Amino acid sequence: MIKRLIAGGKLFLGLHAPGRNLTVFPDDVFLVSYPKSGNTWTRFLIANLVYREKNPDFSNINDLLPDPETMSKRDLERAARPRVLKSHQYFDPRYRKVIYIVRDPRDVVVSEYYFDIKRRAIAEDCPLQQFVSRFVRGELNHPYGTWGEHVATWFYTRRGDPRFLLVKYEALQSQVMNEMGRIASFMGISAGPERLTFAIEQSSAHRMRELEKKQAHLWSSTRETRKDKPFVRSAKSGVWKTELPEASVSEIESAWGGLMREMGYELAVSSLVHAGMELDRG
Amino acid sequence: MPGWNWTEDRGREVFLEQGMYGKMTKYLIGGIKRGLGLHRPGRSLIILPDDVFLVSFPKSGNTWTRFLVANLIYPEQPATFANIHRLIPDPSSTSKRDFNRMPRPRIIKSHECFDPRYRRVIYIVRDPRDVVLSQYHYHRKLMKIGDESPIEAFATRFLAGETCPHGSWGQNVVTWLGTSEKDPHFLLLRYEDMVADTARELAKIVRFLGISASPEQIVHAVERSSVGRMRKLEEAQTDQCELTKGSRKDLSFVRAAGSGGWRSELPAPLAGRIEAAWGPLMRHLGYELSSQSPSEAREVESLGILSSTPQ
Repeated sequence: MIKRLIAGGKLFLGLHAPGRNLTVFPDDVFLVSYPKSGNTWTRFLIANLVYREKNPDFSNINDLLPDPETMSKRDLERAARPRVLKSHQYFDPRYRKVIYIVRDPRDVVVSEYYFDIKRRAIAEDCPLQQFVSRFVRGELNHPYGTWGEHVATWFYTRRGDPRFLLVKYEALQSQVMNEMGRIASFMGISAGPERLTFAIEQSSAHRMRELEKKQAHLWSSTRETRKDKPFVRSAKSGVWKTELPEASVSEIESAWGGLMREMGYELAVSSLVHAGMELDRG
Repeated sequence: MPGWNWTEDRGREVFLEQGMYGKMTKYLIGGIKRGLGLHRPGRSLIILPDDVFLVSFPKSGNTWTRFLVANLIYPEQPATFANIHRLIPDPSSTSKRDFNRMPRPRIIKSHECFDPRYRRVIYIVRDPRDVVLSQYHYHRKLMKIGDESPIEAFATRFLAGETCPHGSWGQNVVTWLGTSEKDPHFLLLRYEDMVADTARELAKIVRFLGISASPEQIVHAVERSSVGRMRKLEEAQTDQCELTKGSRKDLSFVRAAGSGGWRSELPAPLAGRIEAAWGPLMRHLGYELSSQSPSEAREVESLGILSSTPQ
């Protein structure tokens, strides 16, 4: 009862986090991805590009690129326009301008596994293979659907749309300068190589690790999590090759093989190259 | 860009018109309604694991299917425009209290794009060339557009997904097909098949719901949901239903109730534009294209069902 009253009061004052009920403005830009796909890194990259003078770090990143899941409705409506919002939502027809980051699901699951240990969502001895099965079935404790559902709803509805920019996490790793240039021009920011380089350096894994050490208690995603495990972890792509059991790789590839190949992720279990054909829905 | 986030825009306009006191009164009424459970849950609906969703893009036969299903599972209570929102509830017009009082499993109406919380989904799809006509007439009935408003302008907004808050036809359909088509908890029905053989398609719903119904019971539900009966009910109950309340009386909600009307009613260039935008998806669903160039045929083979977003 008291809980409901407090929630009611919060709703009245606009102190609740709106989540999917966010009020969308026509000039909003959304930075969308499935969880653990490089969203935070890209948030830092964009923050350091757009709000360089604010010295982006973990203490102010939620204000600079607000998150409708954690920010209050009131703060979201007061944010400077145009807003650049972070989002993990599956397709929402109200989002007009969207930067979508996609990452190889075989790496996403490894990253989610370590993050869930850090935030005590799973036990440290939870077998990875069992975790992968839950990941494929969409049984994780977040409301964003499966990797395949997320990517399919955004990619199939928006590809080819000039207001939709698809960025691969792996390309961001290997050609960050080039990808940052695409992001900047998509956002209508004319930035020379110097400004891009500055944003990239300010957002390096090394610097983000140093900031995390000092500021983990200041940021919503790390505040109440284990301090012995870092949020900024390997910051690499392809770790699944050494970390994932083969059965798990094949489980992921048989669930989403068609979509993975469409994203340019080569399948490892060769027999599935043929099985993946039927996923093309010819 | 009118319409694309029209709920929010309308909320802001009301706020600006009414000023501070209007806003406070509105908040108070809203708060009291909320306390009594009389508010509509909308997107905040608490979804139960055994809920079944009856989903479609608007103007694709959703209301008719609601009548069919309601008349089948509640034979003691014939469906009408006055009670349909309690029998097959709609989160945007049924109160939270009515939702909580419903027998389970609930069968819930929705026009939303893919939502991972919906576990069991009956998805009704209709030829977009007929959907655009139906929506055009419905918007005239609702006085969102005037009679002089040309269908060409409406079609442009329709293609861009700006005529309703549920995405474009192609987006709505592809979010469901692209995620769920092979899921055993997903049943795809075509409006055209329902028109051609209603009893057969309703039997599919019966199997999907895991209930038992005799052929006689199915025929009975079909008859109770006939166009003739629905037209009569609409005439008598137009102001008792959210779908028609306050709309023009000279235009009806239950309109042609057929398929293929676009062939005579929709200007050919508009049919062509719709086919250019969503051709592969339409062909995947078995909707024959009236204009097909060889390059489009190639695209179908390489892209499967999925076309690019129209501009």
